[in-house]
Amino acid sequence: MKRVRTRGLAALAVGMLALTACGGGEDAAEAGGESGGELRLWLAGSDTPQELRDHLVESFEAEHPGSTLVIEEQDWNGLVPRLQTALTSESQTPDLVELGNTQSPTFTYAGAFSDISDMYEELGGDDLLQGFVDAGTVDDTLYAVPYYSGARAVFYNKELFAAAGVEVPTTLAEFTEVAQTLQQANPTGQPGFSGFWLPGQDWYNGVAWLNSHGGELAVEEDGEWTGALSSPESQEGLAEVQELFTTATSAPRDADSDEPWIAFNNGEAAMFSAPTWARWSIDLPECNKGVAADDESEAAKALLDEQQACNEEKTGIFALPGLEEGSVAPVFSGGSNIGIPAKSGNQELARDLLRIIFSPEYQTMLAENGLIPGNTEYADALGDDVYAQAALAAAVDAELTPPAEKWADVEGARILEDLFQEIASGTDPATAAAKADQLITDTLN
Amino acid sequence: MSAPPAPAATAPPPPRTSPPATGSTSAAPLRRRRRPLRSRLVPYLLLVPALVPLGVGLGYPLVRQFVFSFQEYGLAQQFGRPAEWVGLDNYVTLLSDPYVWGVIARSIAFCLVNAALTMALGIALAVLMTKVGRGARITLQVGMLLAWGTPVLATMTVWQWLFDSQYGVVNWVLAGPLGMEGQRGHSWLIEPLSFYAVATVIVVWMSVPFVVFTVYAGLLQVPEECMEAAQLDGASSWQRLWGLALPMIKPVLFVVALLQVIWDLRVFTQIHVLQRAGAPTRETHLLGTYIYSLSKEFSIAGAMATIMLVITLVLTTAYIRRMLREEEA
Repeated sequence: MKRVRTRGLAALAVGMLALTACGGGEDAAEAGGESGGELRLWLAGSDTPQELRDHLVESFEAEHPGSTLVIEEQDWNGLVPRLQTALTSESQTPDLVELGNTQSPTFTYAGAFSDISDMYEELGGDDLLQGFVDAGTVDDTLYAVPYYSGARAVFYNKELFAAAGVEVPTTLAEFTEVAQTLQQANPTGQPGFSGFWLPGQDWYNGVAWLNSHGGELAVEEDGEWTGALSSPESQEGLAEVQELFTTATSAPRDADSDEPWIAFNNGEAAMFSAPTWARWSIDLPECNKGVAADDESEAAKALLDEQQACNEEKTGIFALPGLEEGSVAPVFSGGSNIGIPAKSGNQELARDLLRIIFSPEYQTMLAENGLIPGNTEYADALGDDVYAQAALAAAVDAELTPPAEKWADVEGARILEDLFQEIASGTDPATAAAKADQLITDTLN
Repeated sequence: MSAPPAPAATAPPPPRTSPPATGSTSAAPLRRRRRPLRSRLVPYLLLVPALVPLGVGLGYPLVRQFVFSFQEYGLAQQFGRPAEWVGLDNYVTLLSDPYVWGVIARSIAFCLVNAALTMALGIALAVLMTKVGRGARITLQVGMLLAWGTPVLATMTVWQWLFDSQYGVVNWVLAGPLGMEGQRGHSWLIEPLSFYAVATVIVVWMSVPFVVFTVYAGLLQVPEECMEAAQLDGASSWQRLWGLALPMIKPVLFVVALLQVIWDLRVFTQIHVLQRAGAPTRETHLLGTYIYSLSKEFSIAGAMATIMLVITLVLTTAYIRRMLREEEA
C-alpha cells in the first residue's frame, strides 16, 4: 500500500515537473535524466545470475548518479496476467521488462511497448537472434529485443550407457532405439525406469520430433492462422513421439517438463532433455558431498566444486540428432525478450539501461553463464566445453513457436499439453491432432 | 490481482435497520417536528459505512463485468484502443458452444454432489460430537479447526504430494503394503472422473469443519426437555434425531446448505491447482477455472461470469425464498 502511495506522489511530482518545464523541452529531459529517481526492471525467473544483476545496478547507477535501479524478480508462473495488469497502469508499470519470447506477440500487438526501431542497429542489428526479433516486431516496427535464449540438449548417464552397451546416437531413429534398449536393460533395477525421461505433457521436448520431420504447430496464410498438427509431416513426428511414450519412457503421463533431472538424479532415467543450464541441477547420489545449503565456508565451496566436477564427469550431453546422420534436430528454443513498457514514465532512462544490457560486456557475461546472448556476436564466450558446444549446435536450427498475435492464448489454454498427454495415453495421433488443430485455429483467429 | 471479475452473489443485502426512536414520537412531538430532517437522515447515515464498501467492492466490479460483457474488450482495449459495443455477441458465442454447456453441467453436478456429501458428513460428525466424551470431542474439534484453518494453497500442496503419481504416498501404500502392483505410477488426475473424485475428497475435507461446528452449535440449542420427553414416549435415538432435533435446527441447516451450494459452484483454487498438477486442462474445467481461462478477453469472461451469476441465482432463489418464508412463519 505504502509503495503505491509514494509512487503515486512520484508520478504527481513528475507530472508537475513536466508542467513547469513546458517552455523548455531540455529542462524536462534533464529532470528525467538527473533526478529520475527509481527505475524498475522486471526479470522473469531466476535465470539471470546475481552477478549479472549486480553488474546492471552498478553500471546504471554509475552512469546516472542520483538514480537507482531496482530489479524485481517475477515468477514465470502467472507472468502474463501480472503483465496484463501492471503494464496498463502508469503508476504500477515497470520501466523495462523481460518476458517469454512466446508471450511477446500478445503484448506487442496490444501496444504495450514503446517503439525502439531506431535502436535496432545500436543494439546489435542483424546479429540479434532473428527469431526473437520477429517475435518482438509488428508491421516492421520493433518493440522488443532478444534477451537470451537457451537451446535444449540431451543429458545422459555415462555409466548407464556403458551398462546397457549403447553409444551416443547419431540420428533421430537411432535415438529411439537407444532409449528403448536402455528402457529394456534397466541397469539400475529401479521400478518405473525410463530410458528417456519424457513426461506426458512435455510438448517443449516432443515438438522437436514434429519439427524434424518438417511439421509445424500452426501456419499462416493471408493473415489467417491454422493448426498444422494434422499435416503428414507433423503426423510422422507425432507417431514417433507416441512410440517413445509407449516403449522408451515410464515418466508419468500427468507430469510436464518441470525439473526432469529429479528422476535422473534418482537413477530412474538414463536420459533427459533440458536447456543446457540444467547442468547445475544434476546431483547424482554417488557424487553428493552432503554440504548443507547454508554452509558458505571455503571448505564447503571446495566440496561443492568437487561434487559438480564429479557430476559432470559422470554425465554426458549431446544435441538431439536430426533425421540424417550428423545433423541436429530443430529443437524448441526457449528464451526471452525485453521491452520498454509504453506507459513507463522513464523512457530515456530505460533506453539507457537497454544500451547497458546490449553492451559487449554484459552480453559476454550472459554467454559466460551458459545463456545464449541476444547478440550472437558474443556467443563465443559460451566457451568450448561440451555444454557450450551442445548448446551452440542445438541453437543453430532451434525453432520458435509461431509468431501469432494470440499464441500465448494457445499456451494459456494448455492445448499442446493436453494433446501430448492424449498421445501419451494411446489416443490415435490423427484424432488427437485434429481436435487440437481445431482448438488452435479457433484460438489464433 | 489477476482473477476475473467474480460474480459475488453471496453477500446478502445490507440489513435494514428500522429507524430508531419510534417510542419517543409521542413523548416529544415538538422536538421531533423541529428537527425532522436530521432524525430522518440518521438511519441513512448509519447505513453509509455498510453501503460504501459494498458499492466499491461488489457493485463496481459487477457493473464493470456487466458492461464488459456487451463489448469487445481485450488486451488492446486495456492499452487504450476504444472498446466496441457488440450487443449480445459474447453471450451468443458462449451459449451456442456445446463445450460451455458441458462445463455448466459438470459444475452443477460437482456442486450438488459436493454440497450433499459435505452436509451429510458434517451433520453426522456434529451428532457424533454430541455423543462422545470430552476428550474425544476436543480432539475432534482441534482436528477440524486445523483442517479449516490451514491456508488452501498449503493444504493443496500436501494433497498434491499425496496423490502424486510417481512419489505419492497413496500410490506407495497401495502398491507396497497393500500389494496392488498396478497402482504403481497410477495417475489419479488424468481421467476426468478420477480427477473429480480427488477434487471432491479435497473440497469436502475442507468444507466439512464449517458444517460440523455450525450444526453442533445448533444441536446444543435443542432444549433438553423436549429430547427427554420424546425419550420417555419411547422414541428411538434415530427418531429423536430425525423427527425432533433436525427439524428444530432446520433454519441453521438451510443457511449452511445454501452457503455450501454457492461455495461449491464457484470452486476455483482446488481445481486450478489440481489442473496444474497434470490433469488434461480442457476436460476438467469447471465454471471458475473456465472463466479464468477466458480472462484474456475481459468481454467474453465477463459474459461467462454473468451467466454464472444467473445460474447461482437460479439455484438459490427458491431456497432463499423458502428460507425467508420460514423465518416469517
